[in-house]
Amino acid sequence: MEIKKIAVLGAGVMGHGIAQVCAQAGYEVNMRDIKDEFVQSGISKIKKFLSGSVEKQRMTQTQADEIVGCIKGLTDLKASVGDVELVIEAISEDINIKKDMYKELDQICRPDTIFASNTSAQSITEMAMVTKRPDKFIGMHWFNPAQLMRGVEVVVQAKTSDETRDTIVDLCKKLGKEPGVCQDSPGFVVNRLLQIWYNEGLNMYDEGIAEPIDIDSALKVGYNFRMGPFELRDLVGMDIGYASTTTHYRELMREQFRPPRCLIMKVKAGDLGRKTGKGFYEYK
Amino acid sequence: MKISTVGIIGGGELADKLKEVLGKANLKVVTASLNGDFVKEIAECDLVIELAEDDFAVKKNLMKTCDTKCKKESILATTSSHPWVTRLAGETKRPDKVVGLNFTKNPFEDKYLVQVVQGLQTSAETVQAARKFLADTGITAVKLEETPGLILDRVIASVVNEAAVMYSSRLASKEDIDKMMKVCVNWPMGPFEFADYMGIDRVVEILDEMTEQLGPKFQPCFLLRRMVDAGWLGKKRGRGFHIYS
Repeated sequence: MEIKKIAVLGAGVMGHGIAQVCAQAGYEVNMRDIKDEFVQSGISKIKKFLSGSVEKQRMTQTQADEIVGCIKGLTDLKASVGDVELVIEAISEDINIKKDMYKELDQICRPDTIFASNTSAQSITEMAMVTKRPDKFIGMHWFNPAQLMRGVEVVVQAKTSDETRDTIVDLCKKLGKEPGVCQDSPGFVVNRLLQIWYNEGLNMYDEGIAEPIDIDSALKVGYNFRMGPFELRDLVGMDIGYASTTTHYRELMREQFRPPRCLIMKVKAGDLGRKTGKGFYEYK
Repeated sequence: MKISTVGIIGGGELADKLKEVLGKANLKVVTASLNGDFVKEIAECDLVIELAEDDFAVKKNLMKTCDTKCKKESILATTSSHPWVTRLAGETKRPDKVVGLNFTKNPFEDKYLVQVVQGLQTSAETVQAARKFLADTGITAVKLEETPGLILDRVIASVVNEAAVMYSSRLASKEDIDKMMKVCVNWPMGPFEFADYMGIDRVVEILDEMTEQLGPKFQPCFLLRRMVDAGWLGKKRGRGFHIYS
């Protein structure tokens, strides 16, 4: 199926970035959120990003205006999804909210519309099964910031059709992204491997083997990782890291994913990382 | 203690690089081969670094010889990537002056990382002197207490092992797993590229050592063992997870 028009549900951190990338590739985009202020906030973030690109002479003002012109901001769900070939959902990471949304979408969308969830933590299979179109249900996991990060995980579940998979892989390429296909399972590929990398780093600190700065430096200087696990935990936020590790541990049920004690204690102490001025390191 | 003379026992790429870097830092370097007689000047060095093959018996004999011949202030350093600092120290009469200096060559740039390994008996002064010496030479050093895998191998071998589990259970292709880690989160290499670079046999060796000393969560994925059986040892053999021509 040829995709011409895309609805992006959610205009938050991920949603607005995804909408921008789709618009930049020339697709018509309906960006929808539950309140107009969220929609407007998303649109102004896109405008801000694009004016930065104009300043850096990566595009002209006319091009930036054209991109914004491709994006229509909406709050009405039916109006935003009724005439699209693809819905990319980037709403709250709550499985029940997502399932309710998909039940409704299944009723109001065209029968041939593909549903792609940007979830990083919920089961694609579980969401697909609340619809009558599991063959047209797929995961499309983007990375923050969507405008800049090249990779997209394309997550298939048992009932995703090959045609749906191929359509989304093809779309990723048209959007200038690098798709990687994986089966639905906790953490998909990227977050699951990241958990191991984080945890073994943090475990060594818990075991009294080395300090955060030594562990971070070893990985950066030895192998050219851009950041070490402690720095990245501080950047992303301890609470988010803890939630992610806990989900992996619960769902994969293996020792490797057990949340390290230092992570748990940082969350309890409210030292959540850069956003609170202190995590494993201090920020002024 | 200030280190101004350094003895290097053993040859190879690392020895050459060390001679160059230490020379630039105005340190006096004495070199000796592994097989020849003990070089008298080594005995007077403040720091003696052994670069013997990673075989415990070989390193043990070398350490004992150095302990007998070197002045009592000399620090004796092993470059082993195994957790052998405490064991080797136990073979000497100066266990407080035995330290690990494990060199890892950066795969992308002409530089080394040194993991300074403190054994159970290594004194804080010895660690301090080693770190100061490395800082003077401009080699980046990190410090850790002795543990299997040290810092780098523990993290990377664990990642490789999990990736092998994921690939074995057909969650994704090895090409896509490598690609995703690079393009989604900016890793310098994908897990299978790391594995092929390190050598599959080495990855299994690290995992076995960690399993034995730290617990079952490090147990190597069966696929890795089968690859060793098949001789698919990585880049050095032309085939590991990927094929190299």
